Amino acid sequence: MNADTKTSLTLASLSVGFLVLAVGFQLELWGEPKIPAEVPPALATATNTATVRFSASDMIKAGGDTSGMECYACHEEGKLIELPLGEDGIVILPPDHKDLIYSRRQCSACHDKSQNVQIEWDDDGNVILPEAHRDLVLQHGAHHRNNPCFNCHVENKLTELETRGGKRLALTESTELCAGCHGPTYGDWEVGIHGRTSGFWDPNLGESTRKQCTSCHDPHAPKFPSMIPAPGPHALHAQHEPATEHADPAEEPEPSDPPEEH
Amino acid sequence: MTAPNTPTTPEPPPPACANNGGEITRRNFLRASAGLAASVAGVAAALSPLRDLDGFPSVEEFLQKHYKELSKDEMNDVLQRISGEVEKEYGIRPHLRDLKPMNGVEFVYALNLTRCIGCRKCVHACVAENNQSRSPEIQYIRVLKMPQGTLDVERSDHNYAPKSVPEKGFYYMPVQCHQCKNPPCVKVCPVKATWQESDGITVIDYNWCIGCRYCEAACPYWARRFNFSKPSIPREKINPNMSYLGNRPRPKGVVEKCHFCIQRTRAGKYPACLEVCPTGSRKFGNILDPDSEVSYILKNKRVFVLKEEVGTLPRFFYYFDA
Repeated sequence: MNADTKTSLTLASLSVGFLVLAVGFQLELWGEPKIPAEVPPALATATNTATVRFSASDMIKAGGDTSGMECYACHEEGKLIELPLGEDGIVILPPDHKDLIYSRRQCSACHDKSQNVQIEWDDDGNVILPEAHRDLVLQHGAHHRNNPCFNCHVENKLTELETRGGKRLALTESTELCAGCHGPTYGDWEVGIHGRTSGFWDPNLGESTRKQCTSCHDPHAPKFPSMIPAPGPHALHAQHEPATEHADPAEEPEPSDPPEEH
Repeated sequence: MTAPNTPTTPEPPPPACANNGGEITRRNFLRASAGLAASVAGVAAALSPLRDLDGFPSVEEFLQKHYKELSKDEMNDVLQRISGEVEKEYGIRPHLRDLKPMNGVEFVYALNLTRCIGCRKCVHACVAENNQSRSPEIQYIRVLKMPQGTLDVERSDHNYAPKSVPEKGFYYMPVQCHQCKNPPCVKVCPVKATWQESDGITVIDYNWCIGCRYCEAACPYWARRFNFSKPSIPREKINPNMSYLGNRPRPKGVVEKCHFCIQRTRAGKYPACLEVCPTGSRKFGNILDPDSEVSYILKNKRVFVLKEEVGTLPRFFYYFDA
């Protein structure tokens, strides 16, 4: 085999190789390039900066409709309210008041308008209260000694508050009342490291605003409410992470169709 | 021209245009031409997937100098050019600036792990603020669900999806760029496309990055993300408040990461992840200001950093409090 034939053979085999590749690409013999599935858009609530609740104090300050908070529409003024006590001295919250507490939740902080709330029932036909709403009871602290209304409310004027030292406060000044027992937390709040701040870190350029205690904590059940977590990293796009690792069915909380934007 | 057909001639005269390999005959010529044509066509067709390549830089972009060598006028031209590109692509004229570090400012982040409930709102607020790719998904913050009683990130899970958070027996640790004082990512960059600024933010010039991903490998916190494909951001979701070293749309093939919302923080505002946090776990500020919130935390809380032993000196502190 002389050099000439060798060259011809090499060239010919290269040509054939490239031609096969070319035909292969044209006919897409190796299939379409894999395009990962679209990631559904995140819910609008994931970027909502609202606080988890809208306190009475916020409502009064904003000049909102506070008629629903008029205690003496139902209660007789000047007459002491008898607290219905259960076993162990637990205050039984009347249904009307559950509604009052519910109504100050910022539903939109956790729920998206475009997604219908799925209500689940148990075998007896009772609504199964989701985990995130189970704190909606009268539970100030792990024990029940703080549940009596008049620990904070004035006995014959429920729209006013009274500190342990006997100082009368309006509903909008409730933070001072909280400070009476939660001193260290109040100290942290005062310097701006407990609770939410927004605005400017640089005091020369703008203000840093702090929220009041009741903007996030329900004074009747101050434990921070549990929340629905925003979607985690999308399985198909989690770099370094095989998608099959977590077989938990709760892994894909979203419907397959991205929710409609409103 | 015909092949010599006089075998009887003992010594044929050498043809005028003969070479060592053989003579150029019609047959040889046609064969060679056909072979050549086929090869060229074959190579062209085989390289046809390259037709899908796009995103070639414009001449101005290609000739652009390094960020630190740009004069003020040149920077203005660059900002104008990028604004035009963004407007063309997303139909919105961005408010694109090149914000410089402020004097006497060094940023520090502090995160209260006792308060964090793992709701992941910071992750999505960050995506929205920083024009991150939605699909494929790029997120700067990763929230780790950790069993209580350990700081071992190997035992964490970031794919948790319970009906509600927090879960009993776990705490949550969001991890993002720690803006290290001794950043390994900066050391390994072969082209100086990433560096630390005087206010402590490690930045990336997306026009200078060659996409070698060395920095991604060097980071012990997995803070850097690579744009494997062109980022896709819905037009209506684009955040027009942009910074050159921050949240302007990135091209394919470059690395990006958390930059403490440079477009907000260098204008005095809190970062987006802090603003959205429902629990107030996140605190941010100037550590050189003794009256700032972060100064108070570093003085009064028992803060710690992640992977202290690797010597990166992070500016991102975690703490627990009662």
